[in-house]
Amino acid sequence: MKKKILKPKISKAAPYSKAHQRYLRRLRNDKIFVIIFQILILVLFIGLWELLTATRVIDPFFVSSPSRIFNMFVSLVQGGTIWKHIGITLLETIIGFAVATIGGTLIAILLWWNKRLRRVLEPYIVVLNSLPKIALGPIIILWVGSGMSAIIVMCVLICIILTTITMLNAFNSCDADKIQLMKSMHANKFQIFWKLILPNATAEFISVLKINVGMAWVGTIMGEYLSSSAGLGYLIVYGSQVFKIDLVMTSTVLLCVLAALMYMVVCLVEKWHSR
Amino acid sequence: MSAMLEFKNVNFFYQTKKEEIHALRDLNFVVDDEEFASIVGPSGCGKTTILSLTAGLLENSSGQILLAGKPIVKHDDRIGYMFQRDHLFDWRTIWQNVTLGIELTKPKDADQKKEFARELLKKYDLFDFISAKPRSLSGGMRQRVALIRTLVMEPKLLLLDEPFSALDFQTRLKVCDDVHEIIKSEKKTAILVTHDISEALSMSDKVIVLSSRPASVKFVQNLNLNGKTPLSRREDPTFGALFDLIWKKLTNEKENTKT
Repeated sequence: MKKKILKPKISKAAPYSKAHQRYLRRLRNDKIFVIIFQILILVLFIGLWELLTATRVIDPFFVSSPSRIFNMFVSLVQGGTIWKHIGITLLETIIGFAVATIGGTLIAILLWWNKRLRRVLEPYIVVLNSLPKIALGPIIILWVGSGMSAIIVMCVLICIILTTITMLNAFNSCDADKIQLMKSMHANKFQIFWKLILPNATAEFISVLKINVGMAWVGTIMGEYLSSSAGLGYLIVYGSQVFKIDLVMTSTVLLCVLAALMYMVVCLVEKWHSR
Repeated sequence: MSAMLEFKNVNFFYQTKKEEIHALRDLNFVVDDEEFASIVGPSGCGKTTILSLTAGLLENSSGQILLAGKPIVKHDDRIGYMFQRDHLFDWRTIWQNVTLGIELTKPKDADQKKEFARELLKKYDLFDFISAKPRSLSGGMRQRVALIRTLVMEPKLLLLDEPFSALDFQTRLKVCDDVHEIIKSEKKTAILVTHDISEALSMSDKVIVLSSRPASVKFVQNLNLNGKTPLSRREDPTFGALFDLIWKKLTNEKENTKT
């Protein structure tokens, strides 16, 4: 039987020159190098952490350790409660993220549509943007009660103003000549918005999604710190109150994983859009 | 030949915070049917304003603008406007860009116009790119797409606002030839606004020289250069003399503006 020779992918395509093949190989090697180093940093960090806590150079009571975090995660999974906490935090974040992104974009559309309204509301938007939203925590609880609704409101408040400002800037930055072109083709205001302004702002919208992924988690956890009886934020607060640093660290790691997954979903949307 | 566009004593003022600016003063000129006219003048004299008034994007303060003997109206289907840059929408395919006007105005003969778009794309070697995005086209191809996007609506009068200024010199010469050929073979009337005297001379049947602001017509030169294409017209023996003549008119105007 003829031995199958594994050829590099690049040689299967068009007849590349040797120099081009070298160039492509260098690109691929660069990519592999970056990935290997990314993984190496994580492995080194975890290994060093484990080593320093196992040898008691650092007290695991204050910083926990990777093995203790893993054990805590296993016990939480076996207890079955962790899914409820993850589910609640995820739900609050997704609702907050969606409401803020859609709501903020709708407000931006309204302000783009009505220039006078935009000029009237501009100073209020600037003030709201610079206000530390955590200060509104007690008021939110007073208005909508404690629990999930307060957490979602907190999450929305953190993301919505930024969404509005970014999207409004994107709408306003559309090339005036393109608007003139649309007008010369007899487009009405709705058509100008729908066929030019909105698609022209897609890149900024994806940026907003990326920013909001991070901000929504901040809002939800802040909300859960203020008032909650379940969720990962609640576990962090509870863990710190009863000095269970393993629980705090496990919840934090879970938050990292969830935020990264949500970010990856946005990246997939971006990739799909730029096809 | 009958007049396609007539400016009769047109004045145009616009307001800024500081003052009211008189941009056009008693502007009079005529562009005949199927004629290619170029407008040249000092920077900021109001050349683009003339196109915007013709397209109905601005309203003249006084005087009359007639298209085929009738006053122009807002959203006049008989006029097509081509801008300095191609302004193709990156998120739309070439076909979607070309048929944008049909999408916006939803004319009764939409199918006919789409067929015409297909024909134009085939005729000018762009049909293979209908599913491509504008970023995969060269500067010259993009300008041709922009022109076809304008022609698809079958305007009687084409307004060209320095459509070649963003191109490098070699591409510019080629695109000038292409655009000129398209306009002549489609039997359109065209007005080209440009800073480039050679471009104006090589493409046009008539050059209108404007004075500095408030702009009025300073000089009109009818042309009858030998050569089928703008590039070959540049070789006409009178080309240099005509260039000098228009250059002098413009230089005088610039000096007048300084003083």
